[in-house]
Amino acid sequence: MIYDLIIIGGGPAGITAGIYAARKKLKTLLITKEWGGQITKAVDIENWPGTKKISGIDLIQQMTGHLKQFEIEIKEGKEVIDLDRRKENFIIRDNDQEYESKSVIIATGKVPRLLNIPGENEFKGKGVSICSTCDAPMFKDKDVAVAGGGNAGFNVALDMIKYAKKVYILEFFPETKGDPITKDKLAQSGIVEFITNVSIKEIKGTKFVESLIYEDRKTGKDFEINVAGVFISIGMMPKVGFAQKLIDLNKIGEVIIDKDNNTKTPGVFAAGDITDIKYEQIVIACGEGAKAVLAATDYLKNKA
Amino acid sequence: MSEEKPKVRIFSTPTCPYCVALKNHLKEHNVEFEDIDVAQDLVAQKEMIERSGQYGVPVADINGEIIIGFNQERINQLLGIK
Repeated sequence: MIYDLIIIGGGPAGITAGIYAARKKLKTLLITKEWGGQITKAVDIENWPGTKKISGIDLIQQMTGHLKQFEIEIKEGKEVIDLDRRKENFIIRDNDQEYESKSVIIATGKVPRLLNIPGENEFKGKGVSICSTCDAPMFKDKDVAVAGGGNAGFNVALDMIKYAKKVYILEFFPETKGDPITKDKLAQSGIVEFITNVSIKEIKGTKFVESLIYEDRKTGKDFEINVAGVFISIGMMPKVGFAQKLIDLNKIGEVIIDKDNNTKTPGVFAAGDITDIKYEQIVIACGEGAKAVLAATDYLKNKA
Repeated sequence: MSEEKPKVRIFSTPTCPYCVALKNHLKEHNVEFEDIDVAQDLVAQKEMIERSGQYGVPVADINGEIIIGFNQERINQLLGIK
C-alpha cells in the first residue's frame, strides 16, 4: 500500500491539510501524537474569522470533527520517529509500523523548550510547570522561579505576581530580553527579583519542588534558592528531528521552505509553526496547510 | 450499579482551559458536580495537592477516586457516559 500523501501532525496546519487532501481525493494518511498542541492552551481566541470568541480546545475539536467527516485514514497517538527516502517514494516510521508515500507534509508544530536538567521531569506537575495560566493560583504566598527573561517569561511573571510571595526571574544572558515596559511593571510590584547571566543546573525537592540551583556564569559559583514552583518559559522548539535527513533547518531549528511550502527535497513539504514562516497564527497555519496540499497535488500530477 | 447519583467534585481554576473543557463535558451529559475554585478556596487547594500528589488542575474526585487532568476516558467510564 503506497499512499499519495502522508501528513504528520494534528494541529491547525495538519488538520487543514487533511481536509484539503480528502477533497482532492488523495489517498491520505494523517499521523499525529495528539490533536492540537499549543492551541489547546489558548483560553480565548478572538481572531478566528467567523467565530467571535472560542477556546482553543473547542476550536481544535471543531476542526477535528470536520476532518473526520471525510474518508481519510488517521493514526492517533503515534509519534513519527523517522522519515527517509525509498527509491522515489518516502518511508515514514512510528514506534510500531512503517508507511510508504509518494509525498509528505510535515506539520508537527512546536513544543515548549525545556531545560534538560535533573529534577525537571521528575517534578513535572509537582512544582515544575509550563502553564502559568493553569497553575499560577496554586502558588499563593509561595516563592517561585521563572526560567526565561524574554516576553514569554515576563508574561508568566505577570501571572505569578498576583499570587506568589516572591518571584525570581532567571535569565541565561547578561540582560533580560522582554519589553522594558513590562519589566518596569514587574519591578514595581516589589516582589520580583531579576537574576541574569545564570544557568539553571538542578531542581530539587522530596515530594514537591523545594529549591533550585543555578550557576552564576561569570563567577562559576553555584547558588540555591528555595522555591515551591519553577515555571519554564525559555521559548518554543520545532519538533522535527525525525526528518533531518531530508530537510534544511534555519539557525533556530525551523524547516526552511519556499513560498509554495517546498523543503529542499521535492515531494517533502512543510506547513505551520514548524517552518521558517515568521508569523505564527492559527489562521496562518491553516492557510499554509492548505497551500502545502495544493503544492503536493501539483507535484503528484507532474510526477504521474 | 446502584441508582444513587455519583458524588463528583471538580477542583479547578477559572483560567485553565482543560478545566473549562472538563466542566463543559460534565454539563453536556447532565452530571451534577461540586465546582471548587482552588484559586479561592485554599483549604480545598491543600486537599487537592495532598490527595493527587501534584499541583496541576483540573482534578476530579468521583466517588472518592482521584483523576488527574481531563482524562475523558476514565471519567466517562466512572460516570457511565457513553
